Parts: sequence; structure tokens; C-alpha cells
Amino acid sequence: MRNITKRFPGIVANDNITLRLRRGEIHALLGENGAGKSTLMSVLFGLYKAEEGKIYKDGKEVEIKNPNDATALGIGMVHQHFKLVEVFSVLDNIILGAEETKFGFLSKKAARKRVVELSEKYGLAVDPDAKIEDITVGMQQRVEILKMLYRDNEVLIFDEPTAVLTPQEIDELMIIMKNLASEGKSILFISHKLNEIKAVSDRCSILRKGKYIGTVDTDKVTKEELSSMMVGREVKFAVDKADANPGKTVLEIRNMTVPSKIRKRDAVHDVSLEVRAGEIVCIAGIDGNGQTDFVYGLTGLAPVSGGTLLLNGKDITSASVRQRMTGGMSHIPEDRHKHGLVLDYTVEQNMVLQRYFEPEFSDHGFIRFNEVRKYSDSLINEYDVRSGRGSLTAARAMSGGNQQKAIVAREMDRKHDLLIAVQPTRGLDVGAIEAIHKRIVAQRDVGCAVLLVSLELDEVMNLSDRILVMYEGELVGELNPKTVSVEELGLYMAGAKRDNMKRGEDKT
Amino acid sequence: MKNTKDKKLKLPKMEGFISALICIVCGILVGFVILLLLAAFTPSIPVGEALSGLGIILGGPFASGSGADVMTAIGTMFFEATPLIMTGLSVALAFKNGLFNIGAPGQYLMGTAASIITALSIPTGGSAFAGFIVWIAAILAGTVAGVIWGMIPGFFKAFLGVNEVIVCIMTNWIAANLVSWIFKGSRYLNVASGHTAYTLKTSVNGVAAPKLGLDKIFPGSNIDISIFIAIAMAVVLYIVINRTTFGYELKACGSNRDAAKYAGMNVKRNIMLSMMISGGLAAMGASFFYLNGNIEFAWETYSSLPDTGFNGIPVALLAGSDPIGVVFSSVFLRYLGKGGYNLAGYTGFNEYVSDLIVAVIIYFAGFANFIRSYFPEVGAFFRRIIAGKGKKDADTAETLTAKGGENR
Repeated sequence: MRNITKRFPGIVANDNITLRLRRGEIHALLGENGAGKSTLMSVLFGLYKAEEGKIYKDGKEVEIKNPNDATALGIGMVHQHFKLVEVFSVLDNIILGAEETKFGFLSKKAARKRVVELSEKYGLAVDPDAKIEDITVGMQQRVEILKMLYRDNEVLIFDEPTAVLTPQEIDELMIIMKNLASEGKSILFISHKLNEIKAVSDRCSILRKGKYIGTVDTDKVTKEELSSMMVGREVKFAVDKADANPGKTVLEIRNMTVPSKIRKRDAVHDVSLEVRAGEIVCIAGIDGNGQTDFVYGLTGLAPVSGGTLLLNGKDITSASVRQRMTGGMSHIPEDRHKHGLVLDYTVEQNMVLQRYFEPEFSDHGFIRFNEVRKYSDSLINEYDVRSGRGSLTAARAMSGGNQQKAIVAREMDRKHDLLIAVQPTRGLDVGAIEAIHKRIVAQRDVGCAVLLVSLELDEVMNLSDRILVMYEGELVGELNPKTVSVEELGLYMAGAKRDNMKRGEDKT
Repeated sequence: MKNTKDKKLKLPKMEGFISALICIVCGILVGFVILLLLAAFTPSIPVGEALSGLGIILGGPFASGSGADVMTAIGTMFFEATPLIMTGLSVALAFKNGLFNIGAPGQYLMGTAASIITALSIPTGGSAFAGFIVWIAAILAGTVAGVIWGMIPGFFKAFLGVNEVIVCIMTNWIAANLVSWIFKGSRYLNVASGHTAYTLKTSVNGVAAPKLGLDKIFPGSNIDISIFIAIAMAVVLYIVINRTTFGYELKACGSNRDAAKYAGMNVKRNIMLSMMISGGLAAMGASFFYLNGNIEFAWETYSSLPDTGFNGIPVALLAGSDPIGVVFSSVFLRYLGKGGYNLAGYTGFNEYVSDLIVAVIIYFAGFANFIRSYFPEVGAFFRRIIAGKGKKDADTAETLTAKGGENR
């Protein structure tokens, strides 16, 4: 790709970027949120058309107008959000769009043979007859990879493939990627996780704010050098924080049980904990161990079937979401598109999502637009939310990282005693992660109780004052981040080790 | 700075207007082709009549003959547009909350029955003042009936999770049969003049909407004050949707129910409320129409539902669910309707051709969205026309491209 330039309203997403991918290499593409990584790959895959620049493959200039052109050229892509038909089997998904037919009927026999061969060759153990909805996210990703291989793609694009995986799955993916490269496939790997880039890639190109910064051999640079190239300044990996100074109990959960929507057994079973002012308590665990339902029950998005919730000493077990919010609860949700934002609304409308009715922003039922604009502008400024048209940008038009920043801004600025932060740095780059971690610590230091729910081990270890491990809907251990090792934490998370947690008897 | 911000806000709206215009032009072109084909295959119609037929349709009420006829036709057009504005608003409001109110015909029918019964039941003793009061009472009664009828699908959707379209269709037919049952053999029928298929005109009890002298301007038509009330309702709704906290909640629930729930909004209440208001709006349209004083209601509705209810859907679609736009699209639909009526009178074609053209326009309304989302260049082209070619507007992507091209 030579001299690619792509513009969007108010922003130059790619400014004269040149990228050279060699056969059989794993080439990482590193950059902050909104640096233009995804845009560049979308240009390569034919989803966007660049205003300038040319694309060459094997020395020949090619024109890629749509994904079909890309596929014909042997370019395949695994999107961050998979494009699979949930009710179809693995095999059906793989052959979808490239079906072989005999007299108008599908002939799956040959296809199955090829899929099995391919999955053996590259070490992708997938059952071709399993339904997509029944297999794990990691398996689904392998199906996406098999889709590309089935189409004889030579250039494989991975758009932040590890964002949805557990640590074990990430390790397996790394091995698969290396296998693919050694078989002569070229891989473009989009990420902002430096560990992974160091671990797997041969070379790395860095983008910053739409501009091309440089390409380096990964084994010749350190993580710190990479991150400063990406962010444009030095970044600290450890979080600076003083010892916690816990005060009064803000949140107390006694024997909370949340029923599962899909299974018979409870999603969260008999969980008791308390969070005090001025401390960060972290719920650690592997994805899918009841954290989501735990947060739903706590925030009122789903009913609990047992137990008591106390916020500032007040019983909120059956309180509405709004009562909980006005009672001092702030909630950075796990899924920013599902819960965090109304994507069709502008930034300013989203900034007052829970507060539009307050006297500050409304007058006899009419919205005070000037106040909303002023407030939104100040939050954008303070929290460095970048977008094409400021307060007037549609939330949908912002990059994921900036959407997250907008939510963080809203939830931290709202008056609250308890901050529930679920995966607050999901999909963010190191610069933004650093900023958000600092803010969470600052919240703690001004006497806010923080309940952090995270899947990122680094985040858990760096940020929390106390770690509670959740496994299959139950708390299985309380650990001190200063004394516990990552390995030991991992054992708890995997369910290999558990303590008898004290039940929530009345301690008064 | 302020100025440029306003311009940015207006841009998408203009785009909506332009795309509605494109739909209309395409619809008319396809309609012309249909006229040509019809003329070619009907021996009694000369092919040349296709062109004059198109002219008559486009002329709407203005192609009605003499000056007096034109004024009558214009008055009738506005009178017929009045209930259509209301059903259009009804559907548009539900759209804003992410609901498809296909129950407008049933709500319209319930409004019809409630307002006619109220208007004929309360004795006025011939006093004009009492007639006026009963007129208002009858509008309210009709509206309340619609609110209740809209509440049913609202309740099922909010609390039981039943798709509103299914419940709406069922309530439509329940209303159709219920209304027939209520009126059958009742004292509200026009037995005296042998018009037993129709109800009495409400004017027999001295109940009729004030004319405000409009009958002098548009002699021979039924136009009355209701058109202004309907327009006022559109303005009120526009303000409610765009400027109030209620409208903010409504749109948030419509656009992302999970986020609305997360934000502490009462999603169920919003669904109920918006369906109730939608029902009330549709029914109010019926009250406006049948309380004119000169309208008879064909009460045997058990086998058909009122067109005005269903036509609220295309009206709202063409207006992009914008309340002010609903006023224009309603009048426009009736404009074409008048053209269709004249078409049957002056040429060999029948009036259904105009309905066909309206249908084509609606199809293109859907198509325009498709064009806008899948062929951004087309949208960009029209935006550039709006922005003015020579003007330097750094906020639009196209002009940026053009500049970039010059730089390199």
C-alpha cells in the first residue's frame, strides 16, 4: 500500500501511509485508538475507498473496490466482531458464499474433507458440525480463520483478534498465527497490546493520529520504545498510587444470588462483599464466570433472586436503576454499544443520559440546550474526548476509544459515592489506559468507593487494593495484590484453588 | 461561529427534504410509464392521453376546471388532509419510540364511534354554544377512545413482550367488528332518509366544527377549523419530540432500549405512553373528520378498515417521521388524490392510478434510504448541491476531498 490517504468529515484518518507486507511475515500494526489502523485495513479490504494512493500485490497495481475484489486477490480479514451465522454449523459458515454445488444441491462432502485437512494442517481443532452459538468465542475465531484458509487467502488481516479472548486462548492464537506464517501466509495484525506484538510479530508499523511513524523489527526494540513511538511520549506501565485508606462502608452485598437467563443454575450464587470509601476492590475472573450478571444485579439491570444490597446503608435490593443512580451509583458498563451510549444521539445528548431531567439541564420539562452544550464541551475538554465535530458528533461516528472516554467522563463527573467500572479500559490504547487508571485512583483518593470488574490481569494487579476472584458465579478467594503472584491468581481464576469465603453474616 | 453551527445542524434536514423530493420525482416518472402502458393496452384510450393524464395528476386540485371548482377542490384537499395529518403524526410518534403503530385504523375507528355517539347523545337544545361544547366533548371522547385502544398493544408490548404489530392488527379487526356491532340497529343511524348504511350527520344535533368563514373562501367544500388544530398539533408534537425531556427519553428508548434502561429511564412506561398518545392522535383525526357536521359514517366496517388509518404510515415514512414534514406529506398525498379524482373525470383512466403513483413514491422512499447508505457518492453529490458548489465549507467531506486534490 503506497501513499494511502483517507479522509472523513472533520478528520484525516489516514495521511499518506505506506505499508509493505512481506510474504510469510507477521506484520503488526500498532497505534492508539483513532490512529487510523482499522481505516487502513478497511481500505485494503475494500470496505472504504481511499482518496489517494495505490495498492500493489506481488508488484502489480490492483484496484480493490469491495470485499469481493479483496477475496479474489487472496486477502482475507477476521473482524473484531465476527461475521458468523449463529444457528449455522461451523462447516456451513465456512463454505457460506463459496459453496460447491452439484445440480443445484450443496455438496458438502468435499468441503468437509478440506476443512478437516486445513484444521489439522494449521492446528485449528474445530468440530465442523458444532453450531456457532454453542462454541466459545475462541473457537468462533478459529472458524473465521478457517474461512480465510478455505478461500486460499494469502494475506490475512486480524483486527484486534485478542480483545475477546482469555489468556489461554490468546496463547493458542499466537501459536496458530506462527504456524500460518511458517506456511507462507502473510499476516497483518492490528493491536495495541505491546506484549502480544513483541511475542508474535516480525515487524511492526506504527501509526499516530493518522500519520505513518515508522516500521521497526520487533525484536530490536523494547516495549517502552514501541509505546513512546505510538503515543509520542513516555508511558508508564505501573500505576502510581499510595496505599489505600479505606473509610466507611459504601456498598455492602449480602448473599446476592442472580438467576441465569439461559441456564437452570444461578449465574451468581450467594455472593457477599463490601466496598469501602477510598478503596478499589476488584472482581477478577475469566470471562463468563458470572461477572456480567453480578453487575446487572448490582446495578438493577436484572432482578436478583436472593440477598440484600446496601448502598450507603440504604437497602437498594429492589430499587429502580434511577433510584440507584441518584442514590450515588455510577456505572461504566461492560458493553458500551449496548448500554453505554445511544449511538444515534450526539455526544452532548449522551453526556446527560442520566441527568437530562435534572434542574441543571431541564426547565419545566424542556431541555436547556445551552447548558447541555456547555456541560458537554467542558467534559470533552477535561477528558480529552476526540471527535470530528465535538459535542455535535454522533456517538456512532466516534472511534471506540473515544466512545469509552465519553462514558468514563460522564460516569466520573456524575455525583457518586460508588463507581462500578466494568472493563473500563477495554479496547483502549496504553495512553488512554494510563489516563483512565490515573482517574480511577484519583477517584479513590477523594473518598470514592470503586468496584472494578476486569478480565485484564495487568489491570487487576496494578489497580486494585483488594482482589476478589469470581469463579462460576461464586467468590472463591480474597487476595492481596501486593503479596499474591500472577500465577496464584491464575489458579484461583481457573478454579484450581479456592478458599472458604466467609459468608455475609451480619457483622454489626 | 454560532452561524456555522446552525448550518451544520440544518444540513441533514435538507438532505431529508431532497431525498423526499427524489422519491416523488421518481414515483411520478414511473407513474407516467404506467400511464403510457395503460394507454397503449387500452383501445379506448389514445396514447397521447398519458401525457395529459400525467398533467392532470400533477395539477391536483388546480386541474379541477373553473376557478370556483378549483377553490372547492382545494378546500376538500385540506379537509381530507386533516385526519391524515393526525394518523401520520400517530405513526410518526410511534416510529420515534421504535414502535410500528399499524393499529392506527382501529384507533381511528374507535375515535369515530366515540365522537359520533357523544355528539349525537348529549342534547344541545339547538343552542350554538351548547353545540360548541358538545363538539369539544366529542373530540375528547374520541381521543380517549383512541388512547385506550392504543394502550392495549402498548401494554402487551411493554409488559408481556408481544410484538406490537400483531396486537395492533388484532385490535384493528376487533375495532372494526365492535363498531359495526355498536351501530347496528342503533338510534344513531340515518333511518329517516333511508340511509341505513350510514350514521346521522352530527349537525342534526347542532354539533359541527366551526367553519371560521373558510366555507366562504372555499365554497362547496367541508373545510373547517380542524385543519388548523391538526397543524397546531404537529407543531406541539415537534416541540415535544425535539425540545423536552419526554421527547429525549422517547427517542432514546426508540434508538437503544438497553441504554435507556441503563440510564434509569422507565422503558415500559415510555412504550405505554407513546402507544397511548399515538392512539389518541389517530382517534383525534377521526373526530376532526366526522364532527365536521356534513359527514356520514358508513358504519358497516366489519369487512374493511379505514384507509386514512393505514395512509398514516406512508405519510410518516415520506416525512421521515418529522411532525412538520407530516403536514406537508399529508397535504401532498391528498393533492395527488385530487389529481387522481380529476383523472377519472377527464380521461379514460380511473382514479386508482394516482393511488398507484403514491405507492410507487413510497417504495422510492425506502429506496432513497438505500441509495443514501450504499452509495455515499450520490448523497455527497446532493449535499454538495445544497452546500453550494463555490462555497468553502470545510465541514463536509466532499469539499475536503476537492481541496486535497488541488493541494497535491
